[in-house]
Amino acid sequence: MGSELSLFSGALVEKQAVNEVMKCNDLTVKFGLVLTEVQALALVATRSFALKENGRIEFGGGVIDKIIKEFCNSPYLSRHNYEDTMHELLEIFYYYKNETLDLMGDDDLIKYMKNAFNGTCQGSLELLSGRELYKLARNLRYGYALDYSDDVIQLDNDEEDEYGRY
Amino acid sequence: MEDIEKIRRIKRETLSSEYYFKSLLEQAYVLGMLSETQLEKIQFDCLSLLAKQTERYNSGGSSSIRVEGAQSLLTSIMFTIGVWLKTYPNPDEAVAAIQKESMYALYQAGRERIDGLIKSTKVLHSSIIGNLLETENVFYRSTIVDGIKGFFKLYYPEFAAQEIHITADYPVHHMMERLVGIEFIQKYLECIYYENLFCAQFSAENVHHLLCGYDEHYEELLINIYEPLLSAAIGCLLSGKDVHRLEMAPSSIQILNDLFRGKRRTEIEEILREAVSQLSGQMELTEPLKRYLRGSLPQIAAVIENAVLLQTLDRVFILPKYPKNNRKLAFSFGEKMDDEKYRKILEEIRQCRYLTDQKALIKSEVHSLADLEDILLDAELREEEILSIFRELNPAEIAALVKKHPMPSALDQYELRESQIVLGECLQKFLAALPAKERDLIKQAAAMLDSIEI
Repeated sequence: MGSELSLFSGALVEKQAVNEVMKCNDLTVKFGLVLTEVQALALVATRSFALKENGRIEFGGGVIDKIIKEFCNSPYLSRHNYEDTMHELLEIFYYYKNETLDLMGDDDLIKYMKNAFNGTCQGSLELLSGRELYKLARNLRYGYALDYSDDVIQLDNDEEDEYGRY
Repeated sequence: MEDIEKIRRIKRETLSSEYYFKSLLEQAYVLGMLSETQLEKIQFDCLSLLAKQTERYNSGGSSSIRVEGAQSLLTSIMFTIGVWLKTYPNPDEAVAAIQKESMYALYQAGRERIDGLIKSTKVLHSSIIGNLLETENVFYRSTIVDGIKGFFKLYYPEFAAQEIHITADYPVHHMMERLVGIEFIQKYLECIYYENLFCAQFSAENVHHLLCGYDEHYEELLINIYEPLLSAAIGCLLSGKDVHRLEMAPSSIQILNDLFRGKRRTEIEEILREAVSQLSGQMELTEPLKRYLRGSLPQIAAVIENAVLLQTLDRVFILPKYPKNNRKLAFSFGEKMDDEKYRKILEEIRQCRYLTDQKALIKSEVHSLADLEDILLDAELREEEILSIFRELNPAEIAALVKKHPMPSALDQYELRESQIVLGECLQKFLAALPAKERDLIKQAAAMLDSIEI
């Protein structure tokens, strides 16, 4: 069975994915963001690695082009960090697909990532992964509203503890 | 010349019932019926189907899926195709269909077949529920009614056609071939249907008495009801007793012992086969039911062969037991004293320094077993003190206490107070220290105590 599933990581599928990534250059070029074929191939390799790391498989072109199209107009992206950010975003995406128990569709998750990245995280991938998406995954797992945060409650408890000590 | 059959290249016995499609591909490839290119095309078609199913599974919202999820979807697809391929008269024709038809067409045909199987199995289930045996065995009803209903509620052939979901605790007599999904449930219910048909030939009362002969607490045992009934019916027939009453006598066992002694398994099976033919003269047995009965005989013959060697034929041909006829003893724990007085005495007993003083106080102030039991539980006595008090009691009182405080199981211990567990353990220690004869008498008396008046 494993050998059957691994057919999808074959050369044909990779080539198709690289082509899809290269096509995105038409859109991103106006933001000064362009990927070479070697860089596109590296992104596809990262996707395969992230899928394997997170115990997932993907059919078709995947989400690389969707992430590129969503993030390309971000003020925090430039040609200097474009490729590295894309690698990081891919890994974060597949990790949080599992963490959110597949309760969110690809498009919704990417949109949430983009809003957080451009908003509260101000371009920080660490904050995006370690705070915003962590909270999102926890809220989804526990059935809370997506924007629920117990930071306030936590603070109250801390204060009580402090007073309790005196 | 008409009897000459075409030579089949793949033998049905070499194929797995559970993973039929996969094993068929393996065999076809090994025997050169499928080339490597054809096999790769089949694999690719299956994966295309998997991609399509994954998209449906994710409602188009996600392009990736966990490996376990994909594995399960692929197993479901292969099972569905296998269900259709099993409808071909032989594996060779199934391989020809694989070569000719697309995987998608085979999958669609399999889905339709599964839908048909679900419908027919539901009809069979309703018919079984309408004619359930009247038995107190809890597993019988919970599996056949609640369990199977649960299966139909959870079964989702679109994405998990190979799942069984339930454990089907109640065992059927026939060895079930390894099946999954709806195929398993259908086969399981077929067995239950035939077993019910046979068991329904006897009155519920006679069945109850026979099963009491197997074990008085059979209602809590995970046993097949049909097997002891069939054995008993055959035993009655062979020993000249009334088959419908299922009432063999100890002498019947001797007759059967003489009949089967020194016989080989095949000979025993032949005798049983003959007996089943005779049974059909005394009962309403349809041809499929007779086939099912004959299918049970090899297993019963094996059991009989061993039982003759081990001198345990009475565990195969069960003699009925009538628990209602057992002697019953009633024992009164007496009336409890006033609470205020009890508290005072309890406090005094707790404060006694010597055991002799405690015993003297109990003898003078405690006049009912109910109060004594409370004292034993509340006075926080040590083990040797409790054992010493037991030595002052007569066997009837000990039996009553044993009945009320049996040795708690590991599970029960969570629900009991610590003092109750200690009392139960002390009683067991006290019994263990008694001579075997006295201990047995007390245990028998405890078993006979039916209702304890308090």
